[in-house]
Amino acid sequence: MNIDVSLFDLRLRRRMLMGYSLGMALYALVIVYLYPDFKNSTSLDQLVKNGPTAAAFFGINGSLTSPSGWLNANLYANFLPLIMLLITIGYGAGCLAGQDEDGTLSLVVTLPITRRSILVQKVLSLTIQATLLALVTMLCVVVGRHYELSIPISHLVGVSVGVALLGIDFGLLAIVAGTWTGSRGTALGLSASIAVISYLVSSLAPVISWLRPARYLSLFYWSVGNGQVSGGLSLGSAGVLVITALILLFTSIWTFRRLDLH
Amino acid sequence: MKTIIAAEGLTKTFGSFRGVEELDFEINEGEVFGFLGPNGSGKTTTIRLLLGMYRPTAGGARVFGRDPDDDAAAILRQTGYLPGEFALHPRLTGRQHLDFVAGVRGVRDRKLCDQLVERFEVVLDRPSRTLSKGNRQKIGIVLAFLHRPELLILDEPTTGLDPLMQREFHQLLRETVSEGRTVLLSSHELDEVQRVVDRLAIIKEGRLIVTDTMENLRKTVPRTLEFRFAAALDPEVFSRIDGVRVLNADGEHVTLSLRGPLASVLRVASEHDPVDVIARPADLDELFLNYYRDGSDGDSPSEASHEH
Repeated sequence: MNIDVSLFDLRLRRRMLMGYSLGMALYALVIVYLYPDFKNSTSLDQLVKNGPTAAAFFGINGSLTSPSGWLNANLYANFLPLIMLLITIGYGAGCLAGQDEDGTLSLVVTLPITRRSILVQKVLSLTIQATLLALVTMLCVVVGRHYELSIPISHLVGVSVGVALLGIDFGLLAIVAGTWTGSRGTALGLSASIAVISYLVSSLAPVISWLRPARYLSLFYWSVGNGQVSGGLSLGSAGVLVITALILLFTSIWTFRRLDLH
Repeated sequence: MKTIIAAEGLTKTFGSFRGVEELDFEINEGEVFGFLGPNGSGKTTTIRLLLGMYRPTAGGARVFGRDPDDDAAAILRQTGYLPGEFALHPRLTGRQHLDFVAGVRGVRDRKLCDQLVERFEVVLDRPSRTLSKGNRQKIGIVLAFLHRPELLILDEPTTGLDPLMQREFHQLLRETVSEGRTVLLSSHELDEVQRVVDRLAIIKEGRLIVTDTMENLRKTVPRTLEFRFAAALDPEVFSRIDGVRVLNADGEHVTLSLRGPLASVLRVASEHDPVDVIARPADLDELFLNYYRDGSDGDSPSEASHEH
């Protein structure tokens, strides 16, 4: 398969990707480095016990001082997904609808490449970006073994795959919204709104009983909101995330096919 | 002669907005077909339909015998396109754009590309955001021609080019056609169209109002005759003649618009003691402007040449 379009888009975003990856790596290393100072802090756990709803807003539940609790509370439940979605929703909204608005997409769509191939190559670029961020973060967390922050590698790989799939799903949602409406702004707004609602539902479900059934509708629940750091990513959760991606991929092929381009 | 582009009832609307309506035209191999019309008349919409960028609301087109809506990639393999609003990625250089397009098109021999770069003095090593419109347009020209396409679709191609580069571009078009390749040139520049096209369609408010060869259009365009007579005369003596219209009459000065043979006018004039006569050649500009303004006027070409 020709991947010129994927490589071209990665080139366009390489500085931004390097910046985000470097920032994320530094943040992860700081979190890892600080762990020994907090691992015996009972006051932190007390804080969560006293204010579970407030903690839930940040995706925190259970122990904060266990290795998995520390990583979950400071990285995987909130900050990493946030950065991941900034990258993937931004790319999803910009790679077709945005480039069409700029006029630069005509450079690609008037080359002898089918729309399906262009779309698939854009999704490949999205996947590479999401994987890169999750991988860089994971490698920095692995360093935590030297700082008493030890969790099984399989769990770490699982939650990293979960975060990457979360990013890919929302990136694809932005692509669908962008190719449906032809508007980068609408794609950004719609995808970001759904992401925020999805995050809140998954985070607050453990402390708000009437929200609990809705957590199954949240992609955050299937990627980072169901104890994935401590227990790994189950096959079922991975399946939900992959099937969602496939549904969105086929939908976007259809919406891109019918979009008038400029 | 092989038909390269054929449009039949090609229609595109955008909700309640008009795009183009029921376009019927054909472009043959080896000709430069001009698409002339004022801004917003539907030229770019038509081009996007032919390239598969828009889906038609009704009717359809065939390019190289293929439907752009189903098989645009195959059409685009043999087609070079220069859009009217040519946009480059601001941070990338011209060379990075060229490398990308040449790579996707599988152009390994970059000799033609290098020749075009040299010929149009293209600036390749600066980010495109720092380039003038003309310099960006030159990159667009190279991108459209670099794979030696069989069909060139050029939408306002000389926008931003200085007169020297415009002349060079027209020379490139002539060379392209002499090799048997086909060009669809969209423009609102009457001069450019008159200079380079073989056949012409005039589009106005989304409809084709005339399609004909430049040669036929020139034949049907009226000439202007300005007479000065020894004494004032009644201009009615001329307006009775077929193909003659009195444009102006002021005593001994009479200005006529003439389509058809000159002899009958000269016979009548000679009976009234003419002192001087000036004959002006066919004025295509005036014809086009009349089409632009009204869709047609009394001096438009014969009905036979009208397709709509």
